[in-house]
Amino acid sequence: MARYIGCAMTKKEQVKAIFIEEAGEIIEKLDVDILRFEEDSSDFNLLNEIFRGVHTLKGNSNAFGFTRLGEFVHHFEDLLDYYRTTRDEIEEHYLDLFVGSVDVVKEVMICELDEVETLPGGYGEYLGKIKDLIAIKTNKTVVTVPQMSGVEPTIDAISMSDLAAEFGLGCQEEVSKTVTNCIKTKQISQEDGLNLYLINLTLDSDSYKRGFDHLIFLHLLKEKAASLDSFFNMESIGTLDNFLSEENKILNVSIVVLTSQSLEEVTEYFEFLFENEYLITLVEPSITGVIKERDIAPEKPNIVDARKGSDRRKDDRREPTETSSSSALTTKSTIRIDTIKLDELFDSVGELVIAQNFVAQNEKIRAIEDESISRAIETLSKITKKIQDRVMSLRMVAIRDTFDKMKRVVRDTSKKTGKELRLIVVGEETEIDKTMIDSLSDPLIHIIRNAIDHGLEADAAERLSVGKKTEGTITLRAFHKSGSIVISVSDDGRGINKEKVLQKAIERGVVTGDENLTDSQIFALLMQPGFSTADTISDLSGRGVGLDVVKTSIEKLRGKIEVDSKEGEGTVFSMVLPLTLAIIDGMLVRTAGEIYIIPTLSVVESFRPDKEIVHSLKGKGEFVSMRAQHIPVIRLSDVFALDVKRIEPWEGILVCVETGAGRVAIMVDELLGRQQVVIKTLGQSLSKLKEITGGAILGNGDIALILNVDELCPVFES
Amino acid sequence: MEFNGDELTIELDMSMEEIREFEHFVRSRLEYIELIAVEEGTTLKSSALLALLVSLKRTKPELKIPFLEQGMSNSSAYGSIHWMCHD
Repeated sequence: MARYIGCAMTKKEQVKAIFIEEAGEIIEKLDVDILRFEEDSSDFNLLNEIFRGVHTLKGNSNAFGFTRLGEFVHHFEDLLDYYRTTRDEIEEHYLDLFVGSVDVVKEVMICELDEVETLPGGYGEYLGKIKDLIAIKTNKTVVTVPQMSGVEPTIDAISMSDLAAEFGLGCQEEVSKTVTNCIKTKQISQEDGLNLYLINLTLDSDSYKRGFDHLIFLHLLKEKAASLDSFFNMESIGTLDNFLSEENKILNVSIVVLTSQSLEEVTEYFEFLFENEYLITLVEPSITGVIKERDIAPEKPNIVDARKGSDRRKDDRREPTETSSSSALTTKSTIRIDTIKLDELFDSVGELVIAQNFVAQNEKIRAIEDESISRAIETLSKITKKIQDRVMSLRMVAIRDTFDKMKRVVRDTSKKTGKELRLIVVGEETEIDKTMIDSLSDPLIHIIRNAIDHGLEADAAERLSVGKKTEGTITLRAFHKSGSIVISVSDDGRGINKEKVLQKAIERGVVTGDENLTDSQIFALLMQPGFSTADTISDLSGRGVGLDVVKTSIEKLRGKIEVDSKEGEGTVFSMVLPLTLAIIDGMLVRTAGEIYIIPTLSVVESFRPDKEIVHSLKGKGEFVSMRAQHIPVIRLSDVFALDVKRIEPWEGILVCVETGAGRVAIMVDELLGRQQVVIKTLGQSLSKLKEITGGAILGNGDIALILNVDELCPVFES
Repeated sequence: MEFNGDELTIELDMSMEEIREFEHFVRSRLEYIELIAVEEGTTLKSSALLALLVSLKRTKPELKIPFLEQGMSNSSAYGSIHWMCHD
């Protein structure tokens, strides 16, 4: 797999960073898979997948000195291995041990990364349970050392002998030394046109069953090799008591090959192995002996069932064995790229779009009446649009992973509250900007917990009394709507009591009670800081902090949150988000000769008001009366202190926008149209202006400022 | 495979099935075997056999396996294979 690594890091740090990133991904996946397995513990393909994740984590953890994590996953792996090989039925009460163990793995990983000496609370308990269960299952008696209350085991207390044996620390040094000498010798004799590779094979114990033998790869490499040396580390092979021919016990094989083959050709031989099973390194043809690391351990393809591949090589002797993993059927080739690089690419494409627009709209060029030039500009425009769309799509990822994480939240909250419920997930395939997805988890978790804790009725009896099923329903939905993405959480619970919300808001002085608030405005009060109508406070929700934080988080993503509820039927919290953070869909307006962009998501309507509906109150500014609402008029010329001739509102155009504080009407001279623009950050001086979120370069080279409508306030005349 | 008193001669080019049979055979007779020789002109076909020979040596250190003690094997099919095992 190709990876982008910051050049400021040392090689060791780079490798460690890769491990941390991969370990995080593995743990995240374990978290999801273990829940799926809890739902269907007969899915042995899924169990195999969980096993592989734990196995990879074990190898990597120990390699990086995260021995406490390594020790835990080592035993967890043993337990998983028992069930996957015996296909023994997993008793329901043991499933909690599986789920809990994944929690411990997550916590230990944090301890390892933060170099915290104290192990998490559940470490000793779960390790003991795992060992006990293995003992029960394998009819061996083990004595679990009882833990003293409040004292967690340190790694010193845990036997390391099995790990040391497994990872062959003594012998590996000798192998490394010999391999280094071999490489040096080959470098000296390396001729032009020959490449020198160091290949490390760490085949899993089931590799023979999967049809892979170290010698197969040696045979394939030998065909085109000028020289081929392999070094088998046999340290981990024990006595016959612990030996079975059909299980690979060879810890590691290092191969040094001098060949005319390219990296791609060599990589192809190993493409059916798991990515943790091999590492190919291209050795520089210098006499310095410096190895240029190109970690190309192939991310391919999630191909777990290589045996079913139609292009299997004739001589690789693979035998059909077990089935593929349940979620590993896609054979897409992927590459991991740092998002910083993607952002840079996106910025460059933004510049390209601007330059292309500049060419297309340049009056001097347009004045040239030449068909071939027009055609060339048109082609350039089409290609630029295509590139822009493709680059945009690189940032888009399906929301499935985030939704998967929410399943765990629902499960835990359901257990904690004792409420029986089911989760319905709709639109997992909906794609959203990667940058945005990272910021969505916390708001979603909060809304879901809130929905279960307060949205749903207290218990089954209450639901039955109002004619509902005992089981509550939480629906998580993602869909596109008018160029935005909507993510909603709905429950079929009590619904929101509007009167209660309004009463509370009046008590707290948030509103006076004289306002003629719409339903959505009343519901929006729930998101005021410190506002809570919950009669009881739980550790899940009801503290009055949270929904305002949710609102702020969503607004940071340039989105908004809407609440809809019917008493007795349920509540829907909808997060309306832009497709991406890099581009904004805006309405271009002109005022006082300057162009401004109003985010389309905020725009309700635009109109030229009649004189009769415009009012002016001394000290309170101008208002426009519409549908029984008095909407403040905001003059951009006042906000930005522009020196212009003052016109009356009915001579201009009002753009009515929805803000956090209610609707306001922005007065502009002219509407120029709707356009998608690439957002540019502003320099230090302009970035201090809270009324502006960024800038954009228009096709003709003009610069337009993007308005932050939530910060627009009427400027009153003294 | 030939078993002559306390000397066992094996072919290196065993398939996985043959290796499993060999393992089964040798497990119950290891006590009586003093030497395991390999038939000339044969080449390893699976690393599992190499691993099995190492395991046999670990189980009975006094067992003589000249092929294993060479520490390496050269062949046109696999190049130079070296093996390392600390006892």
